[in-house]
Amino acid sequence: MGVREAQKLATRRRVLDAASDLFNEIGFEDATVRAIANRAGVSVGSVFTTFTSKADILNQVMQDRLEALYEETGRIIPLMRGSTADRCRSLFAMLYAFEMRRVKLFLAHIAVAYRWDVGPIGRPFGSNQVFRDLMTTWLRDGVVRGDIRIDVDCQAVIDLLLGVYAWNYRLAAAENADSDRLTALMDQQIGMIFDGLKPRP
Amino acid sequence: MNHLPLRSLAGIAQVRRPTQRALAKQRTREKILAAAKALFTEKGYEGATIRDIAASAGMSTGAVFASFTDKSDLFNEIIGADRESLFEAMRAEAVGASAEEALNSMFDAGYRFTLADLPLLQATMSVSWSPDLGAQVRGRLNRRPITELVGEILTASIERGELSRHTNVAIVSQMLWDCYLANFRHAAFEGWGLNELRARLAEQIRVILAGVRAG
Repeated sequence: MGVREAQKLATRRRVLDAASDLFNEIGFEDATVRAIANRAGVSVGSVFTTFTSKADILNQVMQDRLEALYEETGRIIPLMRGSTADRCRSLFAMLYAFEMRRVKLFLAHIAVAYRWDVGPIGRPFGSNQVFRDLMTTWLRDGVVRGDIRIDVDCQAVIDLLLGVYAWNYRLAAAENADSDRLTALMDQQIGMIFDGLKPRP
Repeated sequence: MNHLPLRSLAGIAQVRRPTQRALAKQRTREKILAAAKALFTEKGYEGATIRDIAASAGMSTGAVFASFTDKSDLFNEIIGADRESLFEAMRAEAVGASAEEALNSMFDAGYRFTLADLPLLQATMSVSWSPDLGAQVRGRLNRRPITELVGEILTASIERGELSRHTNVAIVSQMLWDCYLANFRHAAFEGWGLNELRARLAEQIRVILAGVRAG
């Protein structure tokens, strides 16, 4: 790598770190590109040499976090045992623990994901194929074990789980709920959902 | 309105017809709201400026500020009215022989109502999750909590002996509303229409109700 290239990468890294902090502290709207550049100690111009827009920066921040999340969960997921419901409980507990460390950043991400006016957003919330595939496998395992009814509609159930998971964050936004409280609620909701998935007598 | 004390009824009888000035003010407000709704729908909350809204309504920004304190006030007024209409549309259809039927019918009305103006829903979702304006928007929307309509259907069903007496109505209502809302992602990003949304939610309603069925 040339010196120039290395410098460009270092700038990019600094911008991403600064943006991640600022989005988490004051939200997407108030974190202007100028404020991000100031915090990173670079010029506004150099921000735009590696990013096309503020949404582009947020996309990259979230992409980096996703990779960190995969790393954390990737070590644990293969070791998971137990029923499909219990595995889902463990997975969502890990997701809450991870996202709640930077909850405002996550909320900003959900907020921006619904906007069509900021340019293309990398990945609208709920469409993460890695976790969807994982839960599909678990649901099918449950069918094989006889815990889950054979005509389960995996995509509908996964949308239900992810929808409930995401909207529970409203308690974090409105009532400052912590990750333990969200996890406890989700445990209960998962219990109800899986009760409804039991094979019919 | 039928429990007003007599004193205030006497007061109403004496009220003069609204002045020309009050009528003009009301017309101005309505013109601004219509222009703002169109612009929020087209450009999103952040994209629409007060200046654009004023221009589109054919008036000065000063005239807009005479009726509304700021853009968030305007936006809250619009989504508050929108929620009111959604609530009424859903309540009118919250009927059926079973909880499953009533829920499907009610949410179906919601999907029909909202699909007609999907960008406004996206703008609302976006603003309601944003750190600075979110609380205000959520407060406004919660004046007409649709989870209460859901709760009424569940409670009636529990009384009929269809659902278990141990059903946690608050949590179940919230889950149904959550997945109803979350499904809009498919409409916004994958072009789903009414039929796909309806079918997906019907399956989710089946699962949720199966978990709390009596017996």
